[in-house]
Amino acid sequence: MSPDGNQGSGLGAFTGTSVKRVEDHRLLVGEGRYVADVVPDGCLHAAFVRSPFPHARITGIDTADAKRLPGVVTVVTGAEIEALTNPILPFLALPGLYTPLYHCLSSERVRFVGDPVAIVVASSRAIAEDAVELVDVTYEPLPGIGTLDAALDTASEPIWPKAKGNLLYDHTNDHGDVDAVFADADHVFTETFRCPRQSNQPMETRGILVEFSADGEITVRAATQAPHMLRWQLAAYARKESAAQAVKAFATNTERRTAFVDAAKSFFAERGEALQASDNTAMQTQMKTDPRTALQMMRTGAQLLGRDDYPHVTADDIGGGFGAKGSVAREEIAVAAVAFALGRSVSWIEDRMENLMDGGQAREEEMTLSIACDADGTIRGLDVDLVLDQGAYPGNPIGAPITVRIMEVMQPGAYRFEAFRQRSRIVTTNKGKYVAYRGPWANETWARERMVNVVARRLGISQTEIRRKNMYGDEDFPATMLTGPSLDVTCSVRKTLERAEELADLPGLDALRADAAARGKRLGIGFASYHEAAPGPPDYWESVNPGTSALLDQPATASVDTDGKIKIWTSQMPHGQSHETTYAQLAADQLGVGIDDIELVYGHTSRAPFDLLGTGGSRGGPVGGGAVRKVGRGLRAAVVAKAADMLEANVDDISIVDGNIHVAGVPARGLGYADLAARVVADGETVEGKDGTYAFNVEDTYTSAGDGGWSVATHVCWVEVDIETGLVDIPRYLVVEDCGPIINPAIVDGQARGGVAQGIGAVLYERAAYDDDANLQASTYMDYLIPTATEVPRIEVEHMETLSPGENDHRGVGEGGMIGAPAAITNAIEDALDVTVNEQYLPPTRILELAGVIEPD
Amino acid sequence: MSDTMNETHVALGGDTTISCTVNGQAVSVEVPVRTSLSDMLRSALELTGTHLGCEHGVCGACTIVLDGAAVRSCLMLAVQADGTEIRTIEGLATDGTWHPIQQAMHDHHGFQCAFCSPGFMMTAVAMLEDDPNRTEAEIREELGGNLCRCTGYESIIDGVLGAIAEMRDGDGGVA
Amino acid sequence: MKAPPFAYARPTTLDSALELLAGNDDAKVLAGGQSLLPVMNLRLGAPALLVDISRIPMLDRIVVDDDGAVTIGALVTHAAVEASPEIASHQPIVAAAAPHIGHRAIRNRGTCVGSIAHADPAAEMPAVCLATDAMMIATSTRGDRAIPAADFFTGFLETDLADDELLAAVRFPASPVGARGTVVEVARRHGDYALAGLACRLVFDGDTITDAALAYFGVGPHAQRVAPAEAALVGTSGDDDALDEAVRLVAATLDPPADVHGSANYRRHLAGVLCRRAVTELRSETGEAR
Repeated sequence: MSPDGNQGSGLGAFTGTSVKRVEDHRLLVGEGRYVADVVPDGCLHAAFVRSPFPHARITGIDTADAKRLPGVVTVVTGAEIEALTNPILPFLALPGLYTPLYHCLSSERVRFVGDPVAIVVASSRAIAEDAVELVDVTYEPLPGIGTLDAALDTASEPIWPKAKGNLLYDHTNDHGDVDAVFADADHVFTETFRCPRQSNQPMETRGILVEFSADGEITVRAATQAPHMLRWQLAAYARKESAAQAVKAFATNTERRTAFVDAAKSFFAERGEALQASDNTAMQTQMKTDPRTALQMMRTGAQLLGRDDYPHVTADDIGGGFGAKGSVAREEIAVAAVAFALGRSVSWIEDRMENLMDGGQAREEEMTLSIACDADGTIRGLDVDLVLDQGAYPGNPIGAPITVRIMEVMQPGAYRFEAFRQRSRIVTTNKGKYVAYRGPWANETWARERMVNVVARRLGISQTEIRRKNMYGDEDFPATMLTGPSLDVTCSVRKTLERAEELADLPGLDALRADAAARGKRLGIGFASYHEAAPGPPDYWESVNPGTSALLDQPATASVDTDGKIKIWTSQMPHGQSHETTYAQLAADQLGVGIDDIELVYGHTSRAPFDLLGTGGSRGGPVGGGAVRKVGRGLRAAVVAKAADMLEANVDDISIVDGNIHVAGVPARGLGYADLAARVVADGETVEGKDGTYAFNVEDTYTSAGDGGWSVATHVCWVEVDIETGLVDIPRYLVVEDCGPIINPAIVDGQARGGVAQGIGAVLYERAAYDDDANLQASTYMDYLIPTATEVPRIEVEHMETLSPGENDHRGVGEGGMIGAPAAITNAIEDALDVTVNEQYLPPTRILELAGVIEPD
Repeated sequence: MSDTMNETHVALGGDTTISCTVNGQAVSVEVPVRTSLSDMLRSALELTGTHLGCEHGVCGACTIVLDGAAVRSCLMLAVQADGTEIRTIEGLATDGTWHPIQQAMHDHHGFQCAFCSPGFMMTAVAMLEDDPNRTEAEIREELGGNLCRCTGYESIIDGVLGAIAEMRDGDGGVA
Repeated sequence: MKAPPFAYARPTTLDSALELLAGNDDAKVLAGGQSLLPVMNLRLGAPALLVDISRIPMLDRIVVDDDGAVTIGALVTHAAVEASPEIASHQPIVAAAAPHIGHRAIRNRGTCVGSIAHADPAAEMPAVCLATDAMMIATSTRGDRAIPAADFFTGFLETDLADDELLAAVRFPASPVGARGTVVEVARRHGDYALAGLACRLVFDGDTITDAALAYFGVGPHAQRVAPAEAALVGTSGDDDALDEAVRLVAATLDPPADVHGSANYRRHLAGVLCRRAVTELRSETGEAR
């Protein structure tokens, strides 16, 4: 292998530099191991029979022909799988929200194009697909609900009969005296903004392999962002035990029972107060609407408690996720259930059509914003009416409920509003499920930043002036958002705006416009600014979902093997973010060693520390990284103490450079980590940890937001619109971001650029299109257009690194590109066309309609 | 080539034997005749570095070099590759030394999740072997048939430019 | 997804291939496979027999007649068309179409003749055939026949080819003296099928257009010429007044479809824009007529 310059060390040597990626050593030579790359001997392959209808009753299903096909092992229908699985339960519900119970396969009714109704298992994927074509399903079509208006129509056919309608949630919160502020302001401006359905579309589709070893041990390998979540859900849903069986199992498993009682005691001791403060009206609504929920929760809970032999879940390399693989797929539960029943290895590798139908969709929201402002441009009040289309089935576990909460909390942005009202509605339609997609709440930024520009245009002031005038700045801190979270210097949005203005060369804009006009193009510029909770202040998550902050805790371990090898253990599940590199940078700097001296342990649930959420929410840098720094510090202290003992020195005099642990100034008499480990062994001081015995083993947890802080940016986009063809070019794009001190600049740049590229896709190319009757119209990559190297320009990324008062200062950067880009691009298009832009998706047809060149069909 | 003795006929559902050269090694494998070239590489030859992103010829993740030209291995039947010379990502490094494109991608942080990376690198290799003198616009056009969802492409383009510089004058283009 | 099962034959003579096609009702010809295999991988098509013509000699030839007529065999790839100096010099409009087709890897395998036989309504080559009055050389056990392009494209993915016929070649007749051609199109992304496209060939006598061909793709069930607009250009210099009239007639004549990529009105408008762009480009061309 080639040298890559990752050698050399010393405290602080790596953090902040563009260390080359550790991951590349396997990925660039074709030795990555993605889920589709592992096919055990004798492995069977699954495929799904899926609904071609948006909405229909199933009146018959005949699998006989399929079962007769040579190579087919089994065909299991929705009705049949109910004997093997438990229904999927609500998670993070909201008061007043109805969340349906549903199985991994549908049996009586299908609710979107692609709804799985049967699973076929065969000796090859090709044969399984042959058999899928032989399954004869009789459908009786029902009216498809394909639009928000249809869903809000109380006369529409209910997709979930117990919900009695397709509006599942309707709740309004006032923050401040909204009516008074609106009555007092000089102007009130109102616009409605619409964002169509998008899709995450990682280049690797979903996939799962349930592998039986020769001695019957089960390991589940999956493309998942959250292995522990998948493990628990498979334990809960992919098996079905009677409540009596489960309770008996729990009662007779003394070790299990004792551990549970101890854990429960300590949980309530730590969080009793928070739990009491949080209300459980959410669950009460649910129980009232569907009494089966209580029974199923008890049954599933007992089943989870009764056994502790859940199959482990593992993942090695994952080809991107962008939130979609944070969901547990119904297909994963079905594959696992059937594999468990067969006792044989089964693999399911989703194809792209399946992924476009059922792999996760996002972002379909309509938002009406009113801003109350004064004539001088002071914006004062905000009123938002949000309708979110969650599709047919709820996201599991992250979906619409948590998204509307984050949208509300973040909606005011970094502006000094006096009052804010948010009405949030969630509707169900006959579309693919709504999942988290890179900055799931991003449309609050899009709609707000659009509306701020609308106000500026109406008042005749510039888009930068209105922002500068109304944004929080250092002089305001500490401050509190109307929705709860506190703001400190890390909410440096206005600084990024001011820096962006400098870099944007605004005086030169007229010349650019003239140049474009001479070429028959119209040039426009758009600004957009936001702050995001990556991780946010310690009071952030309590504002979003009181009582659940513990979900965000992040454990980690730092260990030294008995032969001196250093390992960092994380609950993060990397899928492109380069954790192996950045965590090695953080740990190597703590421990005075080289990048290659650190091994990152992740993925396999027998080894990765427990954390239900895995990787997501831009938490890898701040929270996962915070945990790594915390255990790194702990390990360094332990190592230094042992070395001081061995070297008969004071701990304060111990220095570690290039792995040489020595008394400062006397490197020649230093010790290596292997020397220390050997001594620990000799002294009988080894400790037990996960997966073995260690010379040192430091476990700790970084709580929720830890030291906290905001990640912020201002995006500036220049567009050139060809008024003849409606094609939009982006001649320049600038991101000024502040995620605090950077661990690895090249990796931060990559995250920002990748996010912006997805934002470009969202505005100009990508739409998970359905017609009004909810027929899917984009089921291949000929119809769902992902931007390529010819569409995505170079993206300038300028870094600002505001320090926070906290010790762990790295803030998240995974989502920001996608949060800022749609707003900056649509603002630029509005500027170019000099018309109000109300849609996020602006294909050439829509551009020319807006420009008045053509009429809508 | 042209005598009828060499005609191949495979019945519905039948298997066929493919003989070709893969990464310099002569191989001969029997697969069902409907097997795609990509599935033959991944399953029969266990060369899993070639990835499947869409299987309908749009994403480019499965791109390999066949008889010197970049092709989509999902849009070829294995039987069509009979008698050809194939290169995949696994054959790019020689004796443990990375190909300049691999080194340059590493140097420029070319990829993130890297699922698309074999397709990009094989496309780039065929392009540079055809004509290494490429402008950025030409590189973008030639790589326009490969989708990446992570990077926004800039780091990949920089990687190719770096490889060109390295192949031209031994300057990898990295400060 | 994986392709459905099929039988496969790889004949090494043309006669053998034709017998296979004659003897099997549900046979498909496999050349480059860049249109057929996506259809099969999506399970939108399941031919019983694939007849792989890749080992049949002579079909990979580009033959240039003394008069500049060019015959392109069934195995000639888009990449070979793109790279051919003969085609560039004798049939520049054909060469001009090639770079618009898909991406490099598709052009490396996909064939010019295969694209014509597949007859995708948004593909470039069928329109180029219409613009140049190309002849389709079909062959079967019943004999050969030459089908004028104007008669060949009959519907959405439908042609005049019979089930037992192999499209062995396409013949582009010699360009008339004074002919100039171009292919212009607008696609969502570079390399995508066109939202609308135009293969335009004008024959000039001095500054006067003596013959015009406007062959559109992506705006109907198959590639089509717009005779009224062509007539409006003939006898003019392609000046702005004539262009305005031609653009008006293009919009009045075409009845394009709407889909997720563009509305009907958009495509109709775009067709006019392309007409204006192509004629403007060709009328300002100087030097060697093509």
